[in-house]
Order: sequence, then C-alpha cells, then structure tokens
Amino acid sequence: MADAGEEEATSVSEPLDLVRLSLDEIVFVKLRGDRELKGRLHAYDSHCNVVLGDVEETIYTIEEDEEGEETVKTIKKQSEMLFVRGDSVVLISPQAPS
Amino acid sequence: MLFFSFFKTLTNHTITVELKNDISIRGTLKSVDQYLNIKLDDITVLDELRYPHLSSVKNIFIRGSVVRYVHLPAAEVDRGLLEDASRREAANQAGKAK
Amino acid sequence: MENLTISDPPRGGTPHSGGQLGSAAGAPAGPPQLPPQMFTTAAQLLDLTDKKLMLVLRDGRKLIGVLRTWDQFANLVLTSTTERYFVSSSNDRRLFADIPRGTYLVRGENVLLIGEIDLDKDDDIPPGYTEADIEDVFALKKEEEARRKKSDRTRSRKAGELWGGELEGSGEILF
Repeated sequence: MADAGEEEATSVSEPLDLVRLSLDEIVFVKLRGDRELKGRLHAYDSHCNVVLGDVEETIYTIEEDEEGEETVKTIKKQSEMLFVRGDSVVLISPQAPS
Repeated sequence: MLFFSFFKTLTNHTITVELKNDISIRGTLKSVDQYLNIKLDDITVLDELRYPHLSSVKNIFIRGSVVRYVHLPAAEVDRGLLEDASRREAANQAGKAK
Repeated sequence: MENLTISDPPRGGTPHSGGQLGSAAGAPAGPPQLPPQMFTTAAQLLDLTDKKLMLVLRDGRKLIGVLRTWDQFANLVLTSTTERYFVSSSNDRRLFADIPRGTYLVRGENVLLIGEIDLDKDDDIPPGYTEADIEDVFALKKEEEARRKKSDRTRSRKAGELWGGELEGSGEILF
C-alpha cells in the first residue's frame, strides 16, 4: 500500500490526481472520433479506462444530402452504466452539474 | 488490474460491447483476461444488416484494443466499491512510482 | 504440428509461456484445470482450438477456417480457410461470395475478433444476403469503396473546417 497521507488525498500533484478528485462527480470526457460523454465518474485507472454512470453520449457527424450539401448532425445516446476504454479518451474534465 | 477484476465480477451477465468500428454486440460475458480481451456467449449483433458476417456465430472473442465502450448492467455495479478500488489502485501506483 | 500440452506450469517471464497450449495428445480428457496465471488470452483461445471460426481482421477482411494452433501473441493458424466478401449496393442488393484460400497464418495484432461458428447455423445464408458470383461481388465492392471514400473525404474535410475534427472513416477498418 502507498503512504498516501492526508495531504496527498486532496491535492493534485500528478495529472491523474485530478481524475481521482472527480470520483463520484460529473465529468466531461472527450473521445476520439468526435464523441463526447458527460456522466458520473465511478472508476478509472492509469490507462484512462473509466466507468461512467447516467451518461449521455454526443456524436458529431456530417450528413450529405443529394445535392452534396453537408450539414452537421449530433446524435445523443444515453447509457445507465458505461465502461470506456482509455485509448479512445482525449481529455477528462470536471464539470459542475448543469 | 482494477478493470480486469471488475469485469471478472460481471461474468455470466449480459453486456453490450461497442467496437471502434461501430459494431455493437450483445452477449453473456464468459471470460476476460488482463488485456481486457472479452469472450461473449450467445451473441446478437445490433445492426445485423450492416454487419452480416456474425450471423452464424454463437460466441466470440473480442480483442480488448478494438473495444470502444462496454455497456454494463447498472444493477450489478457497486459504485462505492468501484470508487474505493480506484482510489486504492491510484495509491498503489503512486507507491510503486516512488 | 507441435505436441501441445497444458499440464506444464507456465514458466517465468511471460505469464503464459509459448507453445504450451492447445490440445495435448497425452493430456487427460475433460475440462482442463487451468492455473490462475492462465486466466488469460491463452485460456480463452484454448477452447477455440480445432473449431470452425470466423475471423474479422483490422482491414475489414472476414476469414472462415479451422483454428489449428496459436501462440501467446494470438498468432493463429487457420486451415481450410475461405475469405467471405460482403457487399451491399446502392439499390439495396446485398450479396456475398466465398473464395477458398487454403492455410493461413494470421498475425495476432491484426485480429479484431474471433467468432466460433455455430455448426447448426453454418450453412445458413446471412439474413438479407444472397450468394453471388465472385466477379459480381468484386465489381460492386469496388463501387462501394469508391463511394465511401468519396463521401468520407468530403465529410472529413467539412469536419476539419468546422471544428478541426477528425471524423473517423465510415468503413469497418481500424487503424
């Protein structure tokens, strides 16, 4: 076990400490492939694998109609409990619940 | 190892694995290994017309690195336990780094 | 083929030393008792040995064949391999064709997933698809690829303009 003292439990000395302090809080996660997630962080590890609860996924995509006109489309999906593989994660940001 | 252990607790439950090539496969989790390779039984492919090749397949081995998400059965996930385990894993990692 | 056994305990170094896996000639029948170190890739591949499998590769290829042997990197040897091409044309015709390929050694990192084929459903035609001539399927496949490439290009250009996005390809290929 680590010698995690009182101070270490609340301060940010390395990047993933920020994620640790976001446990049980709402986080915003940006993923590769123009995807974003917002949900409650329940677990993470050093690969940025995460488990999020009550999560909303937003996918940004572009649709092309017959005339070649391109429009941005956003797709929203809900999931009760989601494991996200770390290699897709671009960033994790603590969020005030909106 | 956190998520390896976590997935082990979910064996014999139904999960949906979404791959990075957008295929979603639902099935019973049969086994998992340290790379988070996953074995699923009695699978169904969510968009079968787009992905017809698994129609005669009953169980599959999925390479961990091609997984984007795993949709989990929320009732089987102990959020508090996960959060504690995440903190413990982080402390362990910090201990190792010193 | 190598004489494979699971009875030897895995040695140090890699968690599951190569070449010790598979069905052994002299090993006792029944479910193998795996040591805990084998709660691994090896354990998962073990019961796929000598089964008819469907492999999906990183470049989108689908191979059907019998798994004969494999190693700790999940390199696989398939025999009686056929490659199956699927195509759906713009007018909603869905076709597939099989090409016999013989014996393949597939490098592990290129395998996306391995499906065990249900022998009861083996001869079933994939729902919505009909078997067709290889030449026809190839011709349609070419069209499909060209269409997809074109639309991927315009879409990714647009995504770059709008939000500097990357917009992954719409195909089944993983990079």
